[in-house]
Amino acid sequence: MGRYIINRVFISIPLLLIISLLTFVLINLSPLDPAEVVLQAQGVPKITDELIAQTKEELGMDQPFILRYFDWLVASLQLDFGDSYVTGKPVWSLIGPAFLNTFKLTFVSSVVIIVMSILLGVICALKEGKIVDKSVRGVSFFLTAMPSYWLASIMIWYVSVKFDLLPTSGMDSYKSYILPVIVITISYAGIYFRNVRTSMISNLNEDYVLYGRACGLPEKKITVHILRNSLQVAISIFGMAIPIILGSTVVIENIFAWPGLGSLSVKAILSRDFPIIQAYVLILAAVFVLFNTVSDIVNAAMNPKIRNDL
Amino acid sequence: MFSKKFILAALVFWVLSILVACSANSANSDNEKKEDNDNKQKAEIVYASAKDINDMNPHFYTGSMPAQGMVYESLVENTEDGIKPLLAKSWEISEDGRVYTFHLRKDVKFHDGEPFNAEAVKKNIEAVQNNAEKHSWIKLSTKIESVNVVDEYTVELVLSETYYPTLVELSMTRPYVFISPKDFMNGGTKAGVEGFHGTGPYILTEHKTDQYATFEANEDYWGGSPKVKKITSKVLPAGETTFLALKKGEVNFAFTDDRGTDSLDVEAMNQLVDSGDYQLVRSEPMNTKMIVANSSKSDNPVSETAVREAIWYSIDRKTITEDILSGTETVAYTLFSPNVNYADVDLKKRGYDLEKAKEILEEAGWTLEDGDEVRTKDGNKLAMKLYYDSNSSSQKTQAEFIQASLKGIGIQLEIIGEESTSIANRRSTGDYDLLFNQTWGLAYDPQSTIAAFTSKVSYLHTTSGIAKADELYKKIEQVMVSTDEETRKSLYADILKIVHDEAVFIPISNGSITVIAPKNLKGISFKQTQFELPFEQMFFE
Repeated sequence: MGRYIINRVFISIPLLLIISLLTFVLINLSPLDPAEVVLQAQGVPKITDELIAQTKEELGMDQPFILRYFDWLVASLQLDFGDSYVTGKPVWSLIGPAFLNTFKLTFVSSVVIIVMSILLGVICALKEGKIVDKSVRGVSFFLTAMPSYWLASIMIWYVSVKFDLLPTSGMDSYKSYILPVIVITISYAGIYFRNVRTSMISNLNEDYVLYGRACGLPEKKITVHILRNSLQVAISIFGMAIPIILGSTVVIENIFAWPGLGSLSVKAILSRDFPIIQAYVLILAAVFVLFNTVSDIVNAAMNPKIRNDL
Repeated sequence: MFSKKFILAALVFWVLSILVACSANSANSDNEKKEDNDNKQKAEIVYASAKDINDMNPHFYTGSMPAQGMVYESLVENTEDGIKPLLAKSWEISEDGRVYTFHLRKDVKFHDGEPFNAEAVKKNIEAVQNNAEKHSWIKLSTKIESVNVVDEYTVELVLSETYYPTLVELSMTRPYVFISPKDFMNGGTKAGVEGFHGTGPYILTEHKTDQYATFEANEDYWGGSPKVKKITSKVLPAGETTFLALKKGEVNFAFTDDRGTDSLDVEAMNQLVDSGDYQLVRSEPMNTKMIVANSSKSDNPVSETAVREAIWYSIDRKTITEDILSGTETVAYTLFSPNVNYADVDLKKRGYDLEKAKEILEEAGWTLEDGDEVRTKDGNKLAMKLYYDSNSSSQKTQAEFIQASLKGIGIQLEIIGEESTSIANRRSTGDYDLLFNQTWGLAYDPQSTIAAFTSKVSYLHTTSGIAKADELYKKIEQVMVSTDEETRKSLYADILKIVHDEAVFIPISNGSITVIAPKNLKGISFKQTQFELPFEQMFFE
């Protein structure tokens, strides 16, 4: 097992290196002179050639590309992503809190999604083909198909404006979580509960279930066994779902004015705040790789067969 | 395939959701709750802003101008009736126009309790001058020779040569405003500041990046404590979110931001006004939205005066302002609206006249062959590109509308949407035929916009291709150092006439500042500097 974990972690290192290089190259391919972008982002009304030269020197942009990449990489490893072009503040001081805010939202949503998915998945699998199964799937089909920005607007209009129950936007108290979490859950639970359901159903037909029944095991015990086995699939799906939700809160964050990574990155892209964009892409990629690795390791722990695949 | 029960369930769900959605328009029972909210916020203004207030260092350009306007003040103020005293209660100008002596108010303190005196003025202006390269747009920054303390409340500004817009440039929101010298880092502001203590009517008390910033009334304000005690700037994305928050009363104020965009569309504004809780206040024209033509691009037809004139004649400004902009802006026929200083000049009027446009093109040799859609001259097509800001929905619609009109007179216009930074980049490199732009605004017009005619990053490419370019630049140079009001007037008239006749700046509409405010908020007015609002004059009834 220890070997497996070490191997798995080693594989992710070149992956992260390639991602970091790509991020850096893509952003530096931009036809705009970064020094000019910095000055425009700072709103300097008139940009002179001397000012551009001076800024280049300040930012160390007069150095060759590959040197700049290594400097950036080494600094990034220490979470020093440079200074924002627009505000001049260290990128980490902006991305750190934003990441935490998005993570809070993602964490709460993921817990709700996982609980809902397992609950609905199990109920539907056990009642396969019955009206409960069909209506849950039907309703979730409709809800998942609704665009989340539209759903969010409708919910804000009714819950917040008309009935005045919750705040329309912002991140002031626990109340602010309710609407965004509901919207995210509706968008994702409808997809993930199907995975749980399918894997439950396929387990239902396995030999061990038949054998258990034949031995006269109580139905409750059999269900626990089935659940345990079906969750294996679910874990790897949820493992990937968390970074996906983390990366796709952009829409939700913008509607609910959530001060997270999504809002930050959209603003950074619009104002060409390159250091923030770079850090955002890198962090998100790292999170993806991390969750992928962790879910592989968890699966390996649960199923020894996988350990030899590497 | 689907069972009957499933279809029934789906149908019930569908009907229910439609019913729920329809009732949204009819109900109006939420007025009682509204009043609750209003009572809570009686004495406060919470305004929605798409951007964070950012770095409030008054000697940089990253901060939000409305927020900086609340906290910091300048020596003098630019008003409709000219320059008025602010932190300086009076001043004298030496005969040669090189020395300005300011007598400061004696009752002013910075928010941290430090006295505002001649020493503080000297330190601040020197801090700005220390970073002069960043402020080169403001010509004054290249003319200041020294700042001398005469006595505690008298300060002397010495210029290298006469420069008539000195007082106007000193009145701008940045950079010549004052922050407590205690906030300086390394003896200046270039490397940042440690606090944001100005002298203005409001004090920045709390700031959560990308969430909100709170400003509280400065009880010791020299002009009397403001009536509205608390102002909060809340970061909300423009559009639906802002509208819903206004509707609920979580924010109660919104206005045109410092890029000239409104956070709400016209329909949403009207809906808020119709609800009876809000009022809409609009300023007089503040700037001119226009199309800038690249006269120096000699291989493109746009370098010909006749072509530019034809474009000018073929724009239906009435339809643009009334239909595309829903009456939020007014028709513009000149680069500066007549209420701008020195701009009330008699210029040739060019309206919407397609026949005239065709005639001009024919005369210039651009002819339309039978069966062709595009005019040609010597084998060259009459084709060009127009760049617009892809974030502005109204610019895109205008561009499409103009494209259709030009097609009618045989000009092929390709329209391309890009981000504002790349458009700015095109403007400075001259890589464009036509692009959307706007003048700097009342406090800066005409001098800053006209000074930009000669600047490479601004309008040098626009103006350098015209026949009278040298004469134009000479006059611009003269006007900036002229001391006699009459000469200045006639020089400005000449300058405006040259660019008008050459049709390099094709005006479209005059923009103004729009404010959405609670109905019981009185005293809403505007400043010449456009994007700062005098909150200290507002009060709830």
